[in-house]
Amino acid sequence: MRGPALAFDNLSLKLGGTHVLDAVSFQVQAGALHCLVGPNGGGKTSLVRALLGQMPHTGSIRLDGGPSRPVGYVPQLADFDRNVPMTVYDVMALLGQRRPAFLGSSRAARAAHAEALQRTGVAGLGHRAFGSLSGGQRQRVLLAQAITPLPRLLILDEPTAGIDKPGLQLVESLVKELHERGVTILWINHDLEQVRRIAQSVTVLNQRVLFHGPGEQLPANWSSGDE
Amino acid sequence: MNDLYSWIRDHLQALAASQALPQPFEYEFVINALLCALLIGPLLGVLGSMVMIKRMAFFSQSVGNAAMTGVAIGVLVGESYTSPYLSMFGFCLLFALTLKYTQHRTTLPNDTLIGVFLSISLAVGASLLLFVSAKINTHVMESVLFGSILAVDHTDMNVMLGVSAVCAVIGLPLYNAMLLASLNPSLAHARGVPVRVVEYLFVVLVTLVTVACLKIIGAVLVEALLLIPAAAARNISRSLPVLVSLAALIATFSCVVGILVPMQFYIPVPTGGAIVIVAALVFVLTTIIRASTARFRGASV
Repeated sequence: MRGPALAFDNLSLKLGGTHVLDAVSFQVQAGALHCLVGPNGGGKTSLVRALLGQMPHTGSIRLDGGPSRPVGYVPQLADFDRNVPMTVYDVMALLGQRRPAFLGSSRAARAAHAEALQRTGVAGLGHRAFGSLSGGQRQRVLLAQAITPLPRLLILDEPTAGIDKPGLQLVESLVKELHERGVTILWINHDLEQVRRIAQSVTVLNQRVLFHGPGEQLPANWSSGDE
Repeated sequence: MNDLYSWIRDHLQALAASQALPQPFEYEFVINALLCALLIGPLLGVLGSMVMIKRMAFFSQSVGNAAMTGVAIGVLVGESYTSPYLSMFGFCLLFALTLKYTQHRTTLPNDTLIGVFLSISLAVGASLLLFVSAKINTHVMESVLFGSILAVDHTDMNVMLGVSAVCAVIGLPLYNAMLLASLNPSLAHARGVPVRVVEYLFVVLVTLVTVACLKIIGAVLVEALLLIPAAAARNISRSLPVLVSLAALIATFSCVVGILVPMQFYIPVPTGGAIVIVAALVFVLTTIIRASTARFRGASV
């Protein structure tokens, strides 16, 4: 055991006077594949946003390497404006290089972006307008940017929403591969069968922590409540 | 820098005298204005495309209008009434940063909040202007409102050069961070971007450019030159490099043509108006191109 990569301690968060998270405490071990499940409105995305510094909260969040260290993050599709005139390569450049994205990318950076797109099964879409892609394709592009360069912590906020069956298998195998390479993974996931199959540890969240333990011990009769 | 300006001006005037360049190049103020246009055009294109993507058009309009109050304050405190830059920069920065700060601490919609700030600023500005109107002639106010190339001098050129340098030094290295911070703040934070800091820096850059452009374009129309070239470029762009390059090209073209054509054909219109009309014509043209070209019409961007 390498110790926690991520620790939430007594985390509470309110939106419009309503408790979204109430005294949430749990840890994610370094190198673990950890799934976060729970009903809609249970506070999963709010917890991730608090982790990313986007939500005022009480309690503490400790991230291995400090809060300033970049992490890989795949947001929900609805959080990304598709009307901005950018190609897939522009999106990759915006997220993965220091040179202003409107000046293009170096050959080395372009090669790295192309390789990441290939790994997520969207090679060949680099010059397509990001906004013209299907939901599943856009989600794969966002996954590609999150693994370039290889992060120590990868946060996935429902990355398989809108993805077809081959895409689901590709995402799962990619996540497993990243996990084997030592990447700590925090995955918001609604597919309980998949969670039981692949997660090392699971937290069930509905404002409070309802369950925290190994994936295979997730109660068989528990459902996410929004299916 | 003044020697450099004089050197450029002398050469262009010599070329105009030998009829190698159009007749307006014989005038010192035209060359001054063109040099400013060449400096500020690309900057307006790069910054304007970002203002459009970040949906901050109304914000930049309010900063431009706040400059009128800045002029009135400048006259009140005894600054030169032709170039009250300290007051304009000071008041506009205060206005813009206070507005941004308030945006972060209220649940009011952005357009409502900007409307409130704009109204307050205009009310204060109008009251102060009436108060100081005895000290200045109306032409000064006209040039602040609508721009005048006759008023552009070396001080204005130096201000524009300084603002361009600041924007290049701050804006270029932080371009990706600034854009990402508005597209997806959580993703930006995950990438190590200090979201709040870059948002405030962007507001500062927009304010600096807006105030620097006032002499040529005027307070009423300065926002148009940030926005119209970017909107025109967007009509026929499918990628970020094309969008930004075209916006810079259209902004520079509009400035140059808007300055030269009224001089060449003796059309008595303010510079700001002429520049924005040229930009608007380009916008109409690109809208027609988009509507009639399947490549752009079918694009979802």
